[in-house]
Amino acid sequence: MKRLAEISMYAAFAAFVGLLSVWPPYTNLREDRAIISLVFSHAGKRVSECRQLSQEELNELPPNMRTMNDCPRERHPVRVELRSGTEVLYRATLQPSGIWADGKASIYQRIDVPSGTHELFVGVNDSGGADFDFEKAMAIDLAPRRNLLVQFDEQTSEILIR
Amino acid sequence: MIVKVHRLGRALFGALRAPMSRAFESAGNPLNHLGALTVFFLWIVLISGIWLLIFFRTSVSGAFESVEYLTREQWYLGGIMRSLHRYASDGAIITILVHMVKEFVFNRYRGNRWFSWVTGVPLVWIVFILGITGYWLVWDELAQFVAISSAELIDRIPIFTDSMAGNFLSDELLSNRFFTLMAFLHLIGLPIFIVFGIWLHIFRLTRPRINPPRRMMAATLLAMLVLSAIYPAISHEQASLAMAPEVLRLDWFYLHVYPLIRIWSPGWVWVLLVGVSSIIVILPWAPRQEKESVALVTLEYCNGCERCVDDCPFGAVEMVPRTDGTTYSHQASVDPDLCVSCGICVGACPTAMPFRSQGALLPGIDMPDRTAAGLRDAIVSAGVDRSSPHVIAFGCRDDGQIKAMEAAGHRVVTVNCMGQLPPSYIDFALSRGHADGVMLLGCRDGNCSYRFGAAWTEQRIARQRDPMLRGRVDASRVALGWRAPWSDIGDAVQKYEAFVASLKP
Repeated sequence: MKRLAEISMYAAFAAFVGLLSVWPPYTNLREDRAIISLVFSHAGKRVSECRQLSQEELNELPPNMRTMNDCPRERHPVRVELRSGTEVLYRATLQPSGIWADGKASIYQRIDVPSGTHELFVGVNDSGGADFDFEKAMAIDLAPRRNLLVQFDEQTSEILIR
Repeated sequence: MIVKVHRLGRALFGALRAPMSRAFESAGNPLNHLGALTVFFLWIVLISGIWLLIFFRTSVSGAFESVEYLTREQWYLGGIMRSLHRYASDGAIITILVHMVKEFVFNRYRGNRWFSWVTGVPLVWIVFILGITGYWLVWDELAQFVAISSAELIDRIPIFTDSMAGNFLSDELLSNRFFTLMAFLHLIGLPIFIVFGIWLHIFRLTRPRINPPRRMMAATLLAMLVLSAIYPAISHEQASLAMAPEVLRLDWFYLHVYPLIRIWSPGWVWVLLVGVSSIIVILPWAPRQEKESVALVTLEYCNGCERCVDDCPFGAVEMVPRTDGTTYSHQASVDPDLCVSCGICVGACPTAMPFRSQGALLPGIDMPDRTAAGLRDAIVSAGVDRSSPHVIAFGCRDDGQIKAMEAAGHRVVTVNCMGQLPPSYIDFALSRGHADGVMLLGCRDGNCSYRFGAAWTEQRIARQRDPMLRGRVDASRVALGWRAPWSDIGDAVQKYEAFVASLKP
């Protein structure tokens, strides 16, 4: 009897392990949904342009620190907006990284959207102005479970949708 | 608050006791070997993992294909090994969590035990990370979900400029070297930390039990093998970063936190993980009711025999050169930071002798809160108002049996741990006519609060360990409540009454 109880205990343990290792199932994404991944790192423009130093100003500097231009390090935040038709899917102002705010602004955002046709608009501003410096509009048919990638290519200053 | 949680937890373990004791002898009860059982599961993981490593390919497509080969083509060995690898990892999570809960509710995390408790927390983290990186390596849809979610979690730590999750944008951009890095972490880096962590975890324990009994190992391995054969672990579809996984068969033992990343946010998941870990780490220093006493050495009676050093479960007693000018070379010295107040050293001391007729009963080492002299007085007192046959019961202060005995009208002589009772006290109770029998109601199932109290007591009474029970004592008049036949009889009161009945002529 004790042996039977012992076997039952080990069997119950194994069953518990087997059960919880796969059950209950987790729904990561509903079947009629798709994902738009908005991902990029981009450095905004400098807040102010480089300024050429006068001879007097150069003379006041230690010899090892004399450079012709004074270039402020701080950069503008990057403003990004993603719309589907008139619906704003994502809108944010991304702060530059670094304690002097001189690094890149980064975004990684997963946006859960219904599958089907979307009139996508992406706008990016990196100069602190009111309008977008870069824009892209595209009609796209998102199949269920599709993961659409929206990026900003720093080399070509182009918004990529793929 | 903490005391209430302790009580609730003990009640839950108490509810488990009945079915467990029906299935296992105390020595074979998995609840008494949770730490060692975890190590055994890790052995299974290691050995099965070596087999998987032989066939595993560290590239984006090779990873999935090699695991599929093991699962489908080589199902009779590779598939079984893969399933064993997974299920033993899951089993380890169960034993780790129950081990933690048990040590907590039975108050085995304070005092000297803080070290094992605190070092256990990073060990749990490493085991979880090891399991998570293992799922990553399969590179199926579940791995894709785990990789992206983990990267989102790591991205929340404000030290990286570029997003780590950005590495998982498309299959073309995914680097094979990423798999090499993950494989290195999973196969070498983290296992080394686990071995070091286990060493640190048991560093302050004397005679740590690294392996469970052989029978338990065999039964556990068999259970895992049967599970692997009946319900083998399989992969999801191969990962494709262009498509998002829909429904996943999550391993809830390791991946329970991942849905929270979606439901809350990575930031709040960090708050949860770091918050819970921090609370667990500071628990040993949470306020408590009373300060435990520390064993006290009386040099006049210490002959430097070293038995207390041998028997102390926590290495709190050491021998140091003699300081009182007597001819003995060494004396016992107690480290107050390591002493857990169990009194097992008193039970080991040959000078804890109740028959002493001259002078005060002062052994070489004693517990100030429950002295050897007080223990003798309690036996004498318990023997005064006697029925026939009269049985004196000794009860461990940490076990809940004393109250039940007293409620039933039976007097109990309380000890800090059953190991505190020197065998000479049993001889004293029986030979001086204070009792017709002695019942030791140690921690139930032999699951001693101080690790070795029950084991040392058994060996002393069986005359296998010093100080031994004298040969003149009739062993049938001494009952160990946690040992057969008494362990099979209900609660403490029923055991006691059954023992009394057995002594009737």
